[in-house]
Amino acid sequence: MRVLIVEDEADIREPLVGRLEQEGYTVDAAADGREGLFLGREYAIDVGIVDIGLPVMSGIEVIRELRKQDKHFPILILTARGNWQDKVEGLEAGADDYLVKPFHVEELLARLNALLRRAAGWSQPVLSCGPIELDTRTQSVTLNNAPVELTAYEYKVLEYLMLHAGEVISKTDLTEHIYDQDWDRDSNVIEVFVRRLRKKLDPDEIYKPIETLRGRGYRFVLEKTA
Amino acid sequence: MKWSFKGSIHARLLVAASLVLSAFLGFTGLALDKAFRSSAEEALKARLQSSVYAILAAAEEDEAGRLSLPKILTDPRFNMPDSGLYASVIAPQLEFKWRSASSIGLSLSYLQMTEAGQSRYQMTETPNLGRLMTLSFGVVWEDFAGSEISYVLAVAEDLRPHLEQINAFRNTLLLWLGGAALLLLLAQGWVLRWGLQPLRSIADELSRIESGQSDQLSGHYPQELIGLARNINSLIRHAQARQQRYRDSLGDLAHSLKTPLAILQGLADQKQETEGPSRVLDEQVSRMNQIVGHQLQRAAASGRNTMVKMLLVRPQVERIARSLDKVYREKDIDYQLEISDKAGFMGDEGDLMEVLGNLMDNAWKYGSGRVRISGQGIGEGLVLTVEDDGKGIADDQIVEVVQRGRRMDEQAPGQGIGLAVVEDILKAYRGALKIGRSPLGGARFTILFSEH
Repeated sequence: MRVLIVEDEADIREPLVGRLEQEGYTVDAAADGREGLFLGREYAIDVGIVDIGLPVMSGIEVIRELRKQDKHFPILILTARGNWQDKVEGLEAGADDYLVKPFHVEELLARLNALLRRAAGWSQPVLSCGPIELDTRTQSVTLNNAPVELTAYEYKVLEYLMLHAGEVISKTDLTEHIYDQDWDRDSNVIEVFVRRLRKKLDPDEIYKPIETLRGRGYRFVLEKTA
Repeated sequence: MKWSFKGSIHARLLVAASLVLSAFLGFTGLALDKAFRSSAEEALKARLQSSVYAILAAAEEDEAGRLSLPKILTDPRFNMPDSGLYASVIAPQLEFKWRSASSIGLSLSYLQMTEAGQSRYQMTETPNLGRLMTLSFGVVWEDFAGSEISYVLAVAEDLRPHLEQINAFRNTLLLWLGGAALLLLLAQGWVLRWGLQPLRSIADELSRIESGQSDQLSGHYPQELIGLARNINSLIRHAQARQQRYRDSLGDLAHSLKTPLAILQGLADQKQETEGPSRVLDEQVSRMNQIVGHQLQRAAASGRNTMVKMLLVRPQVERIARSLDKVYREKDIDYQLEISDKAGFMGDEGDLMEVLGNLMDNAWKYGSGRVRISGQGIGEGLVLTVEDDGKGIADDQIVEVVQRGRRMDEQAPGQGIGLAVVEDILKAYRGALKIGRSPLGGARFTILFSEH
């Protein structure tokens, strides 16, 4: 999952970037509104964190501009003043949730998680498709209630595919949403991850959860059960 | 008496001008009446005088050289009985008496004994002739024997025609002066109305500003009021600008205090400990955050301000409801608005948003599916009710729930100062908050902004 952070205060931004990367997110960070707008436009962002009080271009303007340019990823605003006028203005501009500074990182993570699920059409933090269950809070996966050990990248791929269950996801999509911009996109690591996932989730080849559509990408085919 | 027209310039001017006008017209009437009466009296006296001379001229001497008067006098009124003009002559020494034909059979009581060469005017009341004005005139006549004989000539005229004339004059005078007074009063009333019209319209505009329908004096005023209107406008603008500046600097202060707090909070969170120094840091940061938030919010609450436009409540409630729907999308709250279109708030938009935001956020947060917001204006006051179908608040927790920093349900994320903020804002507006149970099943918050 690719997160955009637009926050001018380095002492808030940097620890946050570190923590989000630790949580398995791919992070793009900007220190002012213009840079944030650029990143939001150019990269396949899944969720944005935008501070309202930004230099050069206010957070509200950044959100408004992104929405105008058909960028519909969920956005969480950070506000220092915490008054309802700011919150409502931010939400009306196109944000989806707000958090008042100072905030607990745990709370921010929970909100991001919820926004991501919601944007993909899941209402519960546990994604459940047939025998496979993925808990977005603990980042754990079970198969018929038995835990499945996944590497960080395997988990990222599975989470993205399951969030968009039923949709065709191209390799480029997966790469863009999962890796930093400097990753070599031509490598076949995605294929490797998918092969490993199939082996771990469906060792006996009964469920066939991930379908390959030649030249188009992958699709998680198991029906949502929750 | 004094207080009764203290309050109105119009009444003061009207009363003063009416008093002056009536005094002026009263004195004019008196003076004219007096002048007319004395001139009528003078004319009457002159007439009596000339009648006396006419009698003297008509008198002849008899063979003894004594006065003899003809039977018929030139003035026909002397010859007709009861004509109102009477004459008589007496000479006490000779027991001579003469009377005009008009006064035959009447007493001579009106005649006054007068020394020679003297005239005496007198008003007499006679039983059979009514009121008379008499001129008695004494003369000395020397007869052929050489002895001097004193005569008294008296002419009397009935005062009735004279009094009638005066009465007629008075009636006419009263009619005309009364008419003039009425016209002048009407004219004066109209002049006052017209003259004070600009003051009235400035008062109307001020009350429109007070009721929030307008925020500046916009009318065209006469020279004397232009300065006043301009000053009022700049006062209003100044107050608004100062409030805005104040809020902006409070906002900046909040921002500059909360950013370092957020950094500290980040530091505390990095350790991910449940004990030790970073827990202490975490607790202190959240305490400071609440104090900062609470104090700044309280400082920013402007209170009821009559110099602002009335703010319609419904659109603000709708904005917040839409925003909350976004934030609590999963809960899919079914909300119901029963707010009259005219319900308005006399105060700052930020304060209204803060009150509504905190109460509605609670409802969305704690409600399980239904929320109802109702509101209606009562005069210039406002009653708003926010209800939900959540668990509600137990009676013994109601006081506690308002205490700042307390959260009844730790599971629902929140700053915990929401209701304390609402209370502070209400205090600034002299409003009231009532917490109870809703028919929907959950909590009901009623806020009342009073009319004054």
